[in-house]
Amino acid sequence: MKDKLSVMMLSWEYPPRVIGGISPHIYFLSKHLAKQDVKVYVVTCDFPGAPAHEVIDNVEVYRIDSYKNPSPDFATWVYLMNMNMQKETAILTRKLADKIDVFHAHDWLVANAGIGLKHVFRKPLLVTMHSTEMGRRDGLHSTTEKMIHETEAWLTYEAWKVICCSDYMISHVKYAFGLPNDKLVMVPNGVNVHNYDGGNDLREFRSKFALPEEKIVLFVGRLVYEKGIHVLINAVPKVLSKVNAKFIIVGSGYMKEQLLNIVRSMGLEHKVLFEGFMDEATLLQLQKSADVSVVPSLFEPFGIVALEAMAAQSPVVASDTGGLSEIIEHDVTGVKVYPNNPDSLAWGITKVLLDDNYAKNLRENAYKRVQEKYDWEKIAQQTKRIYEGVLGEYSKSFWA
Amino acid sequence: MRAIIFSWEYPPRVVGQLSGYVSALSTQLAKSKVDINVVTYDDSDTGQTQEPSGVKTFRVANPVRNHIGVLTWVLTLNQEVERAAANIYYDSNKQVDLIDVHDWHFIPAAVTLKNGLGIPFVYSVESLEDHRSPNAISSYNLAIKSIEWLGFFEAERISVKSEWMKDEINRIYKVPKEKITTIATDPELWIEEILKLYNRVARTQE
Repeated sequence: MKDKLSVMMLSWEYPPRVIGGISPHIYFLSKHLAKQDVKVYVVTCDFPGAPAHEVIDNVEVYRIDSYKNPSPDFATWVYLMNMNMQKETAILTRKLADKIDVFHAHDWLVANAGIGLKHVFRKPLLVTMHSTEMGRRDGLHSTTEKMIHETEAWLTYEAWKVICCSDYMISHVKYAFGLPNDKLVMVPNGVNVHNYDGGNDLREFRSKFALPEEKIVLFVGRLVYEKGIHVLINAVPKVLSKVNAKFIIVGSGYMKEQLLNIVRSMGLEHKVLFEGFMDEATLLQLQKSADVSVVPSLFEPFGIVALEAMAAQSPVVASDTGGLSEIIEHDVTGVKVYPNNPDSLAWGITKVLLDDNYAKNLRENAYKRVQEKYDWEKIAQQTKRIYEGVLGEYSKSFWA
Repeated sequence: MRAIIFSWEYPPRVVGQLSGYVSALSTQLAKSKVDINVVTYDDSDTGQTQEPSGVKTFRVANPVRNHIGVLTWVLTLNQEVERAAANIYYDSNKQVDLIDVHDWHFIPAAVTLKNGLGIPFVYSVESLEDHRSPNAISSYNLAIKSIEWLGFFEAERISVKSEWMKDEINRIYKVPKEKITTIATDPELWIEEILKLYNRVARTQE
């Protein structure tokens, strides 16, 4: 018997390649699994300037040439990339004399590679479903969407366990792919509270964004319909009638022009700042400086922004939907408001901004909660236990 | 000797000439005491059977039904081909001497099995994308060509049915002619030459 549990993690993104939330997820999960004495290999797509192989925080990272084949469209690119990823991972696994215990795939983007490797090496496959095509598109409308949906279904069928980041996603995935309960397991997403350590004198930093008498209301997210940013913009005058504040909007998206026009027509350009994309260091400081962080989403599989705000000790006001409903405990770790309701949102924001004691309580409880429940170390422990459980079952199968 | 043949057509599924050829080839190989396994596609009649000739077949269907083109259809079918081949490999105590892949469709599976399990493969060329779609330079055709190229690069040997095809592969893909074997069409010599080729490739297995 060999010493260490080893996992081959497959992901289409890993830093510095960052397209969505999967990249930081893989980074933190792998790093903390390594701390739990798990040997982690990450196979991912290449990025200009990033080496084909490097060791980051004791994690072996391999980047494949992912733009080798001409591709007529994105979905075909994904399948061709999988062909290359599978080949490179097969070479690597063989080189390691098959000392890989499990393959762990993230989303349909690496479905083919994960499924093929499972059968070729006869090792268990686990999958984390971060999102679904059905959820992203609010239904299945085109052949491409149906093809991706079926690929997701195939992946969850082939997987030994399907991990989701919230109870909301568990029930969604169960419905979308008709999966049995005992195949699904919930492991929340994590947040690194130490990202927000240090640099506590923020007066000077704060003065770049707001006057000393203005409270800072922060929104971080893509400026798209599902994030509910228009609800916040509609709530701005309602908040301002009660309390002096500056609204800072970080992120970009197709709704930007439209939102700018609304703000202009309300004559509130001096109260609402559109900052666009922001570098991480500045964003961390801003999250710490915010008197309230707002997450007004209409659809949200998890809601990592709410967790980040909690880790930054900024009180959270979020809409009562999807993963957010689970993260926020009303009046304890944040304020829940009705989704798509500017009055309700304005009420929540005002309540936090006008009652310092209330805000302080939320801040302290939320910070404690993220450390208890959304700590990467604990999430890595839970994930390791899932691997061990699967390996226990596997050892009794005819594949072992 | 144990060999696996990959072909996207095999009777009763007939798309072009390849189906009949692979059927005749596998029957002859079975007669020559080769343990011959054909992995192929069928939409509904899936699973393993053994024909009276001794040829064993393993038919797989596509796990994804909706597709935007032949490319995505082929690429999701390859994992099922891998599953079938891996089952044959593990069921035979890991004794598979080689894989013979006919045309480009299942090249991705052959490449993974070679690199993952060390099973060498022959790429048997019936036709090329350049001949099927002359002068086509869309990214769709180029993607198929890139899979053909991968096959030529990763194959232990390439087998063709004419000197003309050997020249074409050399001209289009710059594959050295020494890597390509032309199989005689003479019915007396045909299977002997294929057996010679198989033996040569099987010996390269680590």
